[in-house]
Amino acid sequence: MRYIILVLLNLPVILLALVNIVIQYKMKKMSARRFQHQIILWIVTLIVLVSSFPIYNYAIGNSLFDSSELSLFDIAQTTVIIYMVYSFNNQRRRIEQNEKMIRDLHQEISIRLAGK
Amino acid sequence: MSKKRIKVCIVIPSYNEEAVIGDVIDGVMNIFKKSAYDFDIVCIDDGSRDKTASIAQKHGAIVIRHILNIGAGGATATGLSYAQQSGYDVAATMDADGQHAPEDVLKGVKILIKDDADLIIGSRLITTEGMSRVKIIGNKGLSFVTYILFGINSTDSQSGLRIFSRKALVSLRWKTSGYEFCSEMLWRAKQQKMKISEYSIQAIYTEYSKAKGQNNWNGINIVKSLLRRRVEEMFE
Repeated sequence: MRYIILVLLNLPVILLALVNIVIQYKMKKMSARRFQHQIILWIVTLIVLVSSFPIYNYAIGNSLFDSSELSLFDIAQTTVIIYMVYSFNNQRRRIEQNEKMIRDLHQEISIRLAGK
Repeated sequence: MSKKRIKVCIVIPSYNEEAVIGDVIDGVMNIFKKSAYDFDIVCIDDGSRDKTASIAQKHGAIVIRHILNIGAGGATATGLSYAQQSGYDVAATMDADGQHAPEDVLKGVKILIKDDADLIIGSRLITTEGMSRVKIIGNKGLSFVTYILFGINSTDSQSGLRIFSRKALVSLRWKTSGYEFCSEMLWRAKQQKMKISEYSIQAIYTEYSKAKGQNNWNGINIVKSLLRRRVEEMFE
C-alpha cells in the first residue's frame, strides 16, 4: 500500500517532467542532444521509482536500514529537506519579483522611447 | 456645444508580421475613419526581426518597439498601458495576422459603449464557421480549463479581439507574458467584479494566419502555466 502511495505521489511529477521536455523539444526550444539527456535522466528516475519496492526489500532483508533510534543522518537529512523547501520558496518569490520589475521596466522604456 | 468625441485606441501586438501588418492597419483605418470616434492605431512590435515596425509606421500607426521579445501578454500590456497613460476612453486589441475583421472591432466598441461594460470578448466560437476542427477542440479545451480553474464561463477565452473600458484600462493587470494571459486577464477582471460580456465575431483563416497561429503543443504549455499560477496564488 505504501509503495503504491509512493508511486502515485511521484509518478505525476516524472510524467509532467517528460511532457515538459517533449513540448520544449517540439517547440524547438531544446536541442536534440539536451532532449536525449533529459529523457534518459527522467526515464532512469522512473525506473528507480518503480523498482524501489524490490530495492527496499533487499535493503531490509540485509539489515541495511537497521537503526534503533533517530540517527544523526536522519536529523541532518530532515533539516536539509526543510531548508531546501524554504530556500526554494524564497527563490521562487524573488524570481517572480524580478520578472515583474524587468517587465514593467521594459514596458515603460518602450513607451517612453516611442514618445521621443 | 459640441459633444466630446470618444477616443479609441486600437492596439495590435505584433511579432514578425511584415507580410500582413500593412493591410491590417489599412483595414482598421478605413473602417474607423467612417465612424464617429477619434481613434489611433498602436502597433506594439514585440522585438520583431523583420520590417514590421517600419511598415506599421508607414501605414499611419503609432509604433512602440519592444527591445526584447516578451510574448503576446507582455505586448498587450504595453499597448493597454500606453492607452491608459494617453487618456483614451476605450481600447481594443486585435491580432496582427489578419484573423479579425476590422468591422468586428468597431462593432465591439459600439457594444461596449452601449452596454456600459468593462471588458468585451469577441468570440470566434459562437459560430465556428471557417475554423478547423483541431482549432475548435483546442480553443474549447482551453475555455473549459479556464472555467475549471477560474470559474469563468466564456465560449472563447483565447480570443485576441477584446474591448476595454477606461475603468479596465486603469485597473486591469496580469502577471503572465505568454498566451496564457488571455485566461488570466479574465480571471483578474472577475476578481475586480468587472462587467464582462462577449459577442460573436468571424474568424478569417488564411494560409498565413493558419501557419502563424498557436499549435496545440503550446496549448499544453498554456494549461501548465495557468495551473501553476492558480496553485501559486493559493499560497500568496
